Amino acid sequence: MPSHTQPAASRDLRLDFFRGVALICIFIDHIPENYLNYFTLSAIGFSDAAEVFIFISGFTASLVYGRAMAARGVLIATVQVMRRAWQLYVAHIFLFVIFIAEVSYTVKTFNNPMYNEEMGVGDFLEHPHIAVIQALILQFQPTYLDILPLYIVLLLIFPLVLVAMERSRWLALAPSLIVYLGVQYFGTNVPAYPLGSVWTFNPLAWQFLFVLGAVLGQTEARRRGPTTILRIAYLPAIGIAIAALAIRLSWAFHGLHESFPALFLRQLWPVDKSNLAPIRLISFFALFVLVARWVPPQASFLRSAWTRPVVLCGSHSLEIFCLSILLSALAHFLMSEIASGFTMQLAVNVLGIAAMCLTAAMLDWYREVQRAPLRPALPAGSQRGEGED
Amino acid sequence: MGGRRYPAGPVVLALAGILTAMLAAAPALAAEPDECATPPELMEAGTQLPNLAARLRAHQPAKIVAIGGASTIGLAAGSPDRSYPHQLDQILSHDYPQASITVVNKGVPRQSARQNLDRFPTDVFAEDPVLVVWETGINDAVRGTDVDDFAETLQTGIDQLKNRAIDIIMVDMQFSRSATALINFEAYLKALHRVGDLAEVYVLPRFAMMHYWSEQKVFNFDEVAPEDRAKLAARVYNCIAYKLAQVIRRAVP
Repeated sequence: MPSHTQPAASRDLRLDFFRGVALICIFIDHIPENYLNYFTLSAIGFSDAAEVFIFISGFTASLVYGRAMAARGVLIATVQVMRRAWQLYVAHIFLFVIFIAEVSYTVKTFNNPMYNEEMGVGDFLEHPHIAVIQALILQFQPTYLDILPLYIVLLLIFPLVLVAMERSRWLALAPSLIVYLGVQYFGTNVPAYPLGSVWTFNPLAWQFLFVLGAVLGQTEARRRGPTTILRIAYLPAIGIAIAALAIRLSWAFHGLHESFPALFLRQLWPVDKSNLAPIRLISFFALFVLVARWVPPQASFLRSAWTRPVVLCGSHSLEIFCLSILLSALAHFLMSEIASGFTMQLAVNVLGIAAMCLTAAMLDWYREVQRAPLRPALPAGSQRGEGED
Repeated sequence: MGGRRYPAGPVVLALAGILTAMLAAAPALAAEPDECATPPELMEAGTQLPNLAARLRAHQPAKIVAIGGASTIGLAAGSPDRSYPHQLDQILSHDYPQASITVVNKGVPRQSARQNLDRFPTDVFAEDPVLVVWETGINDAVRGTDVDDFAETLQTGIDQLKNRAIDIIMVDMQFSRSATALINFEAYLKALHRVGDLAEVYVLPRFAMMHYWSEQKVFNFDEVAPEDRAKLAARVYNCIAYKLAQVIRRAVP
């Protein structure tokens, strides 16, 4: 965000706050056998942190690069988007190197023959020379290395979305919706490596949420907030959100005690995350409508000291996301090597979230320091920010 | 006959005593080794195996097919003779001396649930089993198969078996500390158990059992010499066989 060109107060802190919440939930969800999983976004509806993350990313991308395009033209905006995609790519490769380190270490210190055969399947070990190349072209997506490839692909198509939106929002939305519906109808997916697997987050489906976020971001930027739609959708959204909450809770209780009835489990499960099943999308938008209605951009809690760490996490989302992946791997390692009891779980969760917040605070401090002395020398309106970081 | 009622009590009691003694002695169920003990809640859920029960009632031979991966063929123990299907075969022959039960091992390492399913026509239906023990999920977790596809494959397999009047027991993944640090099993475990739940098919919680043994340091691969690891693996397979036998005995007393 080029925040020096506008007063900080005009930045919509809701975006940072909810992206921060999503990042913390992603961290918690990524630690297996973690009781805190029951309290993340996935517990209150069919959607989870992934939807929030992708939607807000589309929303902010539209704000930032839309502004860049209006001020400096399509070409510069495109270059900025590509630069951002490159940063994400580098981050992805960084995480992949850590994955390699983890795999190599674990396999070399492996004592249990019961898994040797199965572990050999990890195609990385069998054909490392191919697996590395497949990772470089985003085709090999081991555990947790699946959302950045999606984000990268979404940014690569984003200049087209920007140009289309400039003409008419329907020019951007209509093709996106058609592709999404096509995926729902035909079950089309994008093949990945190894042969037979597919992209965990089907970009053909998830692009719709990103484009929707972008279109809503554009209306917001033009101060033509979709107030009528929000008013009309308000009551249905309350109904949907309550129904989704009740169903999800019944599933959670059913998981704990088999005698507890799981509502509509037979009809609704499994909810297809890979292809962003409509029920996830509807559940997410019900929450979106409620949040848009209940939480005004100027809500005082967004500025309180208590929410500040979350807002900071959200405003440095790429770094904090990468850190969260590292931390959840580390947390899991500690839990499986030392203990997995409740105290340990609480400790790794609390420490991990604290590490994320502290890092975000440090990054923010550094950004301010870096900016401050240069400010008077810069011509007004110049772009020094990192875009949406 | 009022006077003779009193002596009848002890006689009945004695008869009952002899009967129970005979009952206890006659089948002499194969005793589970102490090291296999697990918390009772892990074996709480029961299941029905109507087709197997009917077959045994009719005194006809019953064939069980065990399909799955490396842990079905018994790779880590060094020989199929030490695999859980073979040990299950031994336990069942012992526990049902009157019946003719055979367990056929159709484990092939490194196969996904989908690949198991593709083998059903040749490896399962061709054998004409009355019960199938389907051990699956590890390779799907290792390879990162789409979880929904995994669930759908299981559902298809279960439907095919049910349509042919074949009873089913599912076996979930193996637990290993180092592997869980690397592979995300949770989503696949959840999917497997939920499919079982919806289809009313019993899923042996092998993951939870092995997790428990690991916590209790019952089987510790870190502390044995490499050449003894196969023996340790065979002991784990043996315990799994006892657990399966227990599930079958409960369904078909």
